[in-house]
Amino acid sequence: MGQAALVAAAEAPLLRVAGFVKRYGRRSAVKEVSLEVRRGEIYGLIGPDGAGKSSLMKAVAGVLSFDAGRLEVFGIQLDSEAAAERVKGRLGFMPQGLGLNLYPELSIEENIDFFARLRLVPAAELAQRKERLLAITRLARFRSRAMKHLSGGMKQKLALVCTLIHEPELIVLDEPTTGVDPVSRRDFWLILSEILHERGATALVSTAYMDEASRFHRLALMLDGRILAAGRPQDLRRRVPGVAVQLRAEHQAEALARLRSVFAQVQALGAWIHVFAQDRDATAAEREIRAALADIALHEMFSTEPELEDVFIASLRQQDPHAGAMSAAVQAPLAAMAAAADGNAIAARGLTRDFGEFRAVDRVSFNVSRGEIFGLLGANGAGKTTCIKMLTGILPPSAGEGSVGGIDMRHAGRAIKQRIGYVSQAFSLYTDLTVVENVRLFAGIYGLTRREAGERLAWTLDNGGLAGYENETAGSLPMGLRQRLALGCALVHRPQVLFLDEPTSGVDPVGRRQFWEILFRLSRIDGVAILVTTHYMSEAEHCDRLALMYAGGIVADAAPAELKRRVTEEAGSLLEISASPVLQALALLRSAGYPDAALFGEHIHLLARDPDTAGTQLRQMLAGAGIAVAHIGRRPLSMEDVFVHYVTLLERGGTLQ
Amino acid sequence: MKRPATDFPSLARIWLQQIAVLSLKEIRQLLRDRALFIYTVYIFTANIIIAAGGASNELRDSPVRVHDADRSVASRDLIYSFQPPRFRLAGEVDSAAEALRLLDRGEARMILDIPPDFAESLRRQRPAHVQALIDTSQANTGYLASSYAARIVARFSEAQVQRNIIRAGGDPRNLPTIRNEVRVWYNPDLNDKWFNTISELLTMVTVACILLPAAAMIREKERGTLEQLLVSPLTPLQIMLSKLLSMMLVMLCGTTVAIFGIMQPLYHVPFVGSVPLFFLLAALYAFTNAGLGLVAATFARNSAQVGLVVLLMVMPIVMLSGTWTPMESMPAWLRSLMYLSPLRHFIEVAYGILLRGAGIGLLWESVAAMAAIGIALFALGLARFRRQFA
Repeated sequence: MGQAALVAAAEAPLLRVAGFVKRYGRRSAVKEVSLEVRRGEIYGLIGPDGAGKSSLMKAVAGVLSFDAGRLEVFGIQLDSEAAAERVKGRLGFMPQGLGLNLYPELSIEENIDFFARLRLVPAAELAQRKERLLAITRLARFRSRAMKHLSGGMKQKLALVCTLIHEPELIVLDEPTTGVDPVSRRDFWLILSEILHERGATALVSTAYMDEASRFHRLALMLDGRILAAGRPQDLRRRVPGVAVQLRAEHQAEALARLRSVFAQVQALGAWIHVFAQDRDATAAEREIRAALADIALHEMFSTEPELEDVFIASLRQQDPHAGAMSAAVQAPLAAMAAAADGNAIAARGLTRDFGEFRAVDRVSFNVSRGEIFGLLGANGAGKTTCIKMLTGILPPSAGEGSVGGIDMRHAGRAIKQRIGYVSQAFSLYTDLTVVENVRLFAGIYGLTRREAGERLAWTLDNGGLAGYENETAGSLPMGLRQRLALGCALVHRPQVLFLDEPTSGVDPVGRRQFWEILFRLSRIDGVAILVTTHYMSEAEHCDRLALMYAGGIVADAAPAELKRRVTEEAGSLLEISASPVLQALALLRSAGYPDAALFGEHIHLLARDPDTAGTQLRQMLAGAGIAVAHIGRRPLSMEDVFVHYVTLLERGGTLQ
Repeated sequence: MKRPATDFPSLARIWLQQIAVLSLKEIRQLLRDRALFIYTVYIFTANIIIAAGGASNELRDSPVRVHDADRSVASRDLIYSFQPPRFRLAGEVDSAAEALRLLDRGEARMILDIPPDFAESLRRQRPAHVQALIDTSQANTGYLASSYAARIVARFSEAQVQRNIIRAGGDPRNLPTIRNEVRVWYNPDLNDKWFNTISELLTMVTVACILLPAAAMIREKERGTLEQLLVSPLTPLQIMLSKLLSMMLVMLCGTTVAIFGIMQPLYHVPFVGSVPLFFLLAALYAFTNAGLGLVAATFARNSAQVGLVVLLMVMPIVMLSGTWTPMESMPAWLRSLMYLSPLRHFIEVAYGILLRGAGIGLLWESVAAMAAIGIALFALGLARFRRQFA
């Protein structure tokens, strides 16, 4: 916690928001939000698209007017244009979108110089600061490279440098890590912490990733223009007491249905089932689970600390008992899976695609069988979308082949297109048509008869929870419903193979769970082969099998649990260390044989082969250097850890790049 | 899952059904796109009314200033020959310099300068001179003003000659003058509202026929819905045909409203020829232009770009059509280019059927040209579309 806690008590908050309201026309984007940010802390706003994060941040940065409430920055009340101008010199704002505020044609150095001159930074100071920031961000080598040729992670680092060049006291960063690969993301958080520490500056940062909560000193969970809960990450996790139980059982679909009759929050994660047992301890939860499963054989079961997302959904349910409720029980023909495994539904062999000099996809191979959910996990620009486009026949591959149901998609005729469904990135239905019109349009396109179309419409409305929205235009629906409508339209002709390109981007956690629930039923009950891409590391757990994509290639391909097991085998278990001052501890650990130690807010994560002995050794080492160690404990590996591990291995081995 | 149909009749049924649902979708989208819908309604209604009322090519109420240095009966006679509706006497000026200043400032369209010896010269039967200074910065009305002025002076001069002959005891009717007897056909009242409204309608139909399909296509491209269509069992031909058919329908409805709702009741524009033939050929014209719009959509990346590309296409099409300028007055090299402008051929058709009652026998050359241009453009659009997306 360091200086944040020490200074906080004595001083007035750097930023004070009270009863903040922002409306766009009749729609309220932010409804009576209040929060305080203390000097020196990293304060997080977590929430899905449309939660009101950007509106709040823009208002703080003085670039957006608001309708009610008070906004105080550095003790100055932002109630006029003139007041906003007075604070602008002391803060830095980085808007949403990868490098959107930068100039693509200018080089790294030219971009920095431009922002410095805009902020009237004296030449001598500019030279000094620029060198320092370029060194910290490790961009110095690329100083004359045009911004448009940088990777997503580098763009974000450059944007950060440009935001910091005038040494603001408060920096406002709107979703700086969305779509950035996990390795660059870790880098970004570390750089941010270092710079804030060095300058004694404060940061207000937003993110759509729930699993980034641990990066913040304090945070607010936002949904639908309101703050659901605020506080330190560990306090938030304890707000709703309970335990998370992971289990693997025979007849997953039936097991899921039985557990749902006892527990409110149950979801399938690949071959596993994840239960959040509220108000119970591990023993009680596991006992109740065994009782609920009755005659269904239980293969494996263990309990962990609940995820923030479990808590988020639980606190949502406290406000609205129906939130997050899954639709009707699964009427599962248990035998459906048995007939499944006949050949590959999707196959990619050496699939490659070049755009001019740039190789977007590099010799990618994988197979997806019937009834399987296969995930392509990677950052923006890793080649996921290009892969899907080649497999659906939208884009011809430069080399290699992709086939669906054994037929090469390059020569895909009507018959094969009749068997695939596709939900493309962003929302690709007609926003100006209503729900019913969209479904009927696709029913017509797939040549369904009037009667069939009626049946499928009823199914889509029921399955997607869209009843009551029939005559709303698609554009007016919340993200979660839109995506379920898109899914319904892609399924209108009952395809056997389904392609989904980042279907849950920007959807709130409840909506995401419901979406995955539908995918789960499709794969398990209807035997549909599903290929899905995502840049949410936490979502990858839903897949039966995963391929990690990085720079156009696949770095690993296995079941999520298997991937984690391999990492544990190769590099060890995950240790979480709480030490103070944390940055000093991190530097020490990195030089003492843990080069991959990563900073998570006030904690350090590292992989250690023999966690128990390593823990003792580390405690002694840190204590010896005068660093106070509060706690060292084991943490379950996350998919992000797996991803970072493989990419770091690759980069060290030099086979990519 | 249902087996996909394989026999020909059901495949054909599905093929047509797909085009029908897509076309219906296009029309729905147009009706809900407020800006585009208002624009479409505007060009077939208010715009025609503005063209009929406002933009007249006639010379009306042109202000004339007079510098009369003679101040005689004869000079006053000449001055008062400049009468409404063409001219309006806007007063006298004292000096030629003052007159020039008024002309410079745009307060007079014409200065009539009468020298001090005007009446004296006429009396002595010597040639008399007057000078008309005309502001021709607006070439068309300037040209009209100068020719009307010349006619007025000539008539005055003729009357003077006749008076002199009578005074000399002769009979002015024996003078060897030529009278030109003009009969105007097809538009006997020389009503320029007919010409203006039809020309405006044709111009706007051209814009709509290019812009609407282009906008419909680019909208799909921008929002990513095109990909959704491409992974479905639709061919590029079906996607393009549905845009073409729906926008053709919109254009035919608009033309119906414009002709029977506005041009006929308000301005009595005649419809001499066959109504079905006119609309059939209008549909063909829509096809010709839609091809151009779809080609434009393959060149543009977004709505703003497609607007510019369409503008770039419409200008030469209208300029080279002979709508507003007669074909004969173009230089030879431009005249051969005019055969490429689809509007040039549709003008033959529209004026032919509406005003002259022409049948297909007279119009077949234009029809063949429109069809040829249309097929070529549509094929080009389809080829580019396939290359980009398939």
